[in-house]
Amino acid sequence: MSLISRNVFRALVQGSQHVGKGVHTSAVNPEKNVCLAPHSISTLQSQVSKEGRIKCTLIPGDGVGPELVYAVQEVFKAASIPVDFESFFFSEVNPTLSAPLEDVVNSISRNKICIKGILATPDFSHTGELQTLNMKLRNALDLYANVVHVKSLPNVKSRHNNVDCIIIREQTEGEYSALEHESVPGVVECLKIITAQKSERIAKFAFDYAVKMGRKKVTAVHKANIMKLGDGLFLRSCEGMAKLYPRIQFEKMIVDNCTMQMVANPNQFDVMVTPNLYGNIVDNLASGLVGGAGVVAGASYSAECAVFEQGARHIFSGAVGKNIANPTAMLLCSANLLSHVNLHAYSKMIKNAINKVFQDGKIRTKDLGGQCTTKDFTNAVIHFLDHEV
Amino acid sequence: MAVRLFSKLKALPSVPATYASAAAAPATLSDFDLQHKTPVIRKQKLIPVAQYGGRHAVSMLPGGGIGPECMGYVRDIFKYIGAPVDFEVVDIDPTIDNDDDVQYAITTIKRNGVGLKGNIETKSEAAYVTSRNVALRNELDMYAYVMNCKSFPGVQTRHKDIDVVIIRQNTEGEYAMLEHESVHGVIESMKVVTASNSERVARFAFEFARRNGRKKVTTVHKANIMKISDGLFLETSRRLAKEYPEIEHNDMIIDNCCMQLVAKPHQFDVMLMTNLYGSIVSNVVCGLIGGAGLLSGRNYGDHYAVFEPGTRNTGTAIAGKNIANPIAMINASIDMLEHLGHHFHADMIRRAVDKTVNVDRIVTPDVGGTASSTDVVQSIMGNIGLDH
Repeated sequence: MSLISRNVFRALVQGSQHVGKGVHTSAVNPEKNVCLAPHSISTLQSQVSKEGRIKCTLIPGDGVGPELVYAVQEVFKAASIPVDFESFFFSEVNPTLSAPLEDVVNSISRNKICIKGILATPDFSHTGELQTLNMKLRNALDLYANVVHVKSLPNVKSRHNNVDCIIIREQTEGEYSALEHESVPGVVECLKIITAQKSERIAKFAFDYAVKMGRKKVTAVHKANIMKLGDGLFLRSCEGMAKLYPRIQFEKMIVDNCTMQMVANPNQFDVMVTPNLYGNIVDNLASGLVGGAGVVAGASYSAECAVFEQGARHIFSGAVGKNIANPTAMLLCSANLLSHVNLHAYSKMIKNAINKVFQDGKIRTKDLGGQCTTKDFTNAVIHFLDHEV
Repeated sequence: MAVRLFSKLKALPSVPATYASAAAAPATLSDFDLQHKTPVIRKQKLIPVAQYGGRHAVSMLPGGGIGPECMGYVRDIFKYIGAPVDFEVVDIDPTIDNDDDVQYAITTIKRNGVGLKGNIETKSEAAYVTSRNVALRNELDMYAYVMNCKSFPGVQTRHKDIDVVIIRQNTEGEYAMLEHESVHGVIESMKVVTASNSERVARFAFEFARRNGRKKVTTVHKANIMKISDGLFLETSRRLAKEYPEIEHNDMIIDNCCMQLVAKPHQFDVMLMTNLYGSIVSNVVCGLIGGAGLLSGRNYGDHYAVFEPGTRNTGTAIAGKNIANPIAMINASIDMLEHLGHHFHADMIRRAVDKTVNVDRIVTPDVGGTASSTDVVQSIMGNIGLDH
């Protein structure tokens, strides 16, 4: 008897809920100022398809890249984020399977956004080709500015707490110009190119980024005491640009001192602007301070496009297929991507979920001293997705 | 467009050599010379544009009066449609006697390239504090001011279907701010007209007419009285008109022009004039179309562009009462989006504004409606995206 009455009661309640929902929607719709779901229109123009979904190029990359990208796709699916991926297998170590560079470049310049795993770069060139695939992609799209936001995560043990600095790196010239030659056997010259135009551009990017993020200080990292002309030009360009930003403090630091300060007292840094190679080193150093390559997100910008990738680029080939890589960095990248295309609510949702997983502290991958798998972590993030945000 | 114009100008012999920046000019020129004798020398060094990953940074100068609330509406709408623009807000305190804030504002526009501004108050009456709006235009060398005056069908006015473009020299003429008292009780105020600036703005006007499919350019002047200064302006525009044979050119004296405007405004197409006449004529046309709250104006230099409501009034009296007309500022923001190349977003807002004003007729009291500012903005946001 009680069973029957309970069921009847449940049915009644559910029925009324349905009715309530129906009433709710029909009551709101006639009003003109009903908000369209923000995602249906809130995007950069070119990525919008007819249904208001966004297209994004996806490069899984080498090593653990595909596993991490899969984690991102799982989370996007679970949160029903209106983003469609255009996937390209792109690899230097697997040239026969790789999609042609032009296709990838076309796709990114059409979609204007891309999420990218790490591409492996072999140590020696077998073909005589000096440019890596990464460099070719950057040059083709003119992705000149790399931004890595190094931020301590809650509840992750490291030597320093509350690290919060942004490292901005020029990545289309400098030591990465791929101009090397052996003039006499046994003597190799490698050209480092610094131009005023690109130095000014990256300096301006750094200051504009600082303004946008409400930061107080920009530090130029250089070695102008040794490379007086090359790094000197970079430093002068930064100094010149600093005059346009009277409300942001500007300081300069030699790269060796900078690395020492970074490991001793990283909290003094705010925004840093560096030429190519120094940026690479400082990026990795700073990433190591807050938990390693698996937790730091980065992005590369040109005037038109943005490519979101991990801050420290390691393929972690030892972990391939073992399901132990940390997807945090990639998930943070995806959250940054969403806020770049004005899907702030979704971005916040993913960031909050990641924070909750860390605060909860039960789910840790191996690199942070836990025992959990990539899959566990992804599921934990999905579990904490709060659709009400 | 302005940059392209500039490249043409460089080929002309009458323009003195341009220097990369004021600092690079020969040491023989004093600051005074730079300021008053060689107006074209104040070319700015090119600074990279603030566009990253498809998003633009734009300086926002809310100014005084109704500026801040109108800027709030613009930001609401931009946020709602997700326009790829990041605003850098610079507040200028009108009561302070020094120019630090204004200089900072100018610097931000220099590095962002584009600004959106309300009207900035200059409360100080000290002689050494110049009008901040004028200082901004002079410092950024924004020599052309453009105002598209097109009737809104939904606003009741005496004349229907007015469609006039006013192009105004923006940096010299009566606004040279050179006044002095030579003898006690006798004050001379200089009006400066230079061939180079007249030529730039005239070329701008004809190029504008050609690019926008306009048929006629009317030069407005008072050369019958000021035979040399306005004469130069008139002569320059006549000379340039010969380079644009497909565009009809005529001229009109300012007093007659005002009369014709209120009587038969449809005879005008593109109007070209010096600074003060531009100020008067643009206000007359604004009045014809429905007041200060509807139209937007654009300031162009070779490198910078600043967008603002068309008549430069602060509207301090109605600030905070929720009755200010937000359409002017929203139109200025549409102009800005167009300038940045975001036509998709610009069209989206424009269609919504059009529907709100002309179809739904939700307008503020200054143009005969009963709605509050927020009602208008709500209605625009409601209309956005409906026609997709």
